[in-house]
Amino acid sequence: MRRHLNLIRVFLKINLQMAMAYRTDTFVNILVNMMWLGWELLSLSIIFGNTQALAGWEFGDLIVLLGVFRIVNMLMFIMIWPATEKFNTSVRDGSFDYVLLQPVNSLFVVSFSRLTIWRLWDLVLALVLILSGLSISGGNILWQNFMAFLALAFSGIIIIYSLWVVLIALTFWFTKFDNNVTILHALMDAGRYPVMVYPFWLQLIVTFIIPIAVATTVPVQALHGSLSVLQVLMYLGVGAASFVVAVLFWRVGVRKYSGASS
Amino acid sequence: MLKIYKNFWLVNWAEQWQYRANLLMYLFYWLVSPIIYLAVWTSIANSKGDVKGYTANDFITYYLLLLVVDQITSNIVIHILADKIMDGAISSEIIKPVHPVLTSTLVYNVAFKALNFIGFLPIWVALNFLFKPNYAAITWQNILLAVPFLIAGFAISFLISAVITSVAFWTTRVYSIHEFYFALVVLFSGQFVPLTLMPEMIQSIARYLPFQLMIYFPIELLLGRLAPGEILHGVGLAVFWFTFAVVAFKIVWKRGLKQYSAVGA
Repeated sequence: MRRHLNLIRVFLKINLQMAMAYRTDTFVNILVNMMWLGWELLSLSIIFGNTQALAGWEFGDLIVLLGVFRIVNMLMFIMIWPATEKFNTSVRDGSFDYVLLQPVNSLFVVSFSRLTIWRLWDLVLALVLILSGLSISGGNILWQNFMAFLALAFSGIIIIYSLWVVLIALTFWFTKFDNNVTILHALMDAGRYPVMVYPFWLQLIVTFIIPIAVATTVPVQALHGSLSVLQVLMYLGVGAASFVVAVLFWRVGVRKYSGASS
Repeated sequence: MLKIYKNFWLVNWAEQWQYRANLLMYLFYWLVSPIIYLAVWTSIANSKGDVKGYTANDFITYYLLLLVVDQITSNIVIHILADKIMDGAISSEIIKPVHPVLTSTLVYNVAFKALNFIGFLPIWVALNFLFKPNYAAITWQNILLAVPFLIAGFAISFLISAVITSVAFWTTRVYSIHEFYFALVVLFSGQFVPLTLMPEMIQSIARYLPFQLMIYFPIELLLGRLAPGEILHGVGLAVFWFTFAVVAFKIVWKRGLKQYSAVGA
């Protein structure tokens, strides 16, 4: 565990140095990011200029949801997209050999070695959004609901991470499958709004197949207290189970990997 | 000249056909946010009856037509051209006796659209079954009237993107600049919501910008919601911005070529 934390520190340092080498780009990226945040807030204010509630959710709730969505999205940009790109190339040209040769868990190296570090900035924005959303909604939040919110947000992220592991592990069988995360990427935006707004078939997709709603809508529902204890436990169980399944799937996949050049 | 275009077409079509699986993925990616907006606004319209006169069916037809109109008027110039300028690959096209952007890039973009349409059509039909729009407002006259506007919308968006991509002759940060441009499109084109539902201030600016010609204007024209005066305003807008874009592109391209240092040569 200690060794892994140390490695994460080293990875962070290397990637920070890479970001600093392209300072202007990093700065421009942050500007672009702020611009899109401005647009997201404007679009919400346009929606709520025309209605009081969206599927029963009010303005403050949507701001909290936007904050949660931004955390999930941040995780994608920091880790998932860059790691996928590197991983797909490494399976195709055989450089994945070097990952396997290292005396650390291969999934760990694949997940953490390439990080788009400046995106961590999003975490601050997201927390500001969540807190201001809560203060707009007013009313007291029960501490047990808040704890359920944190737990479900974490487990939702684990579920999406597990799905990602399964998707990229498929590349071990189908080397040419380098569109492996497009479907995840494409459906991300569905996390911006409460899932109840969508038509039934789209709800099914973003809840059960590509479960983005489980990491965005569901935690905010818990914050409202609209989930029963049983439901909360069920979602947490699904989170833990999906992680185990993903790790097992990864192991089988790695055994399938045969190298590209040897 | 026609023969040149025909040959460019044959080459580019064959090249695109190789990547048809990628195209489908791209298509899927592009479809999601209009469908999300459709869902959000129909849900609001259903709960209130209408939103400033827009019923649920109005929103459904708006976004389903948006998919078609955006297919036609959008462009991928930056993805075709920017890297070629930055890594020097454009050199071999510049020495040809025809304009690289108005032949190679243009035909590539049109071939991309044509292939996209093949994948898009069945999906669009399926979406129509799912959302059951009522297209009673569309007449043949409206469709005929919209055709020149759709062509103008594509021409203008293509040329403006070509101008922005040409900035790559000076700087490598052309993708970030393009992102700012894209934000203007989102704000002023009617992509998020029909412009009449945007804040007053945005509407009054959007009225004079080219972006509504790419989305909002053709859709409203198809749905027969524009008064003759507004259509005339659209004609003026299209003529002005087309002329502007042509002139701007000529100047920027000429200066850019002088600036160009052919990396790698």
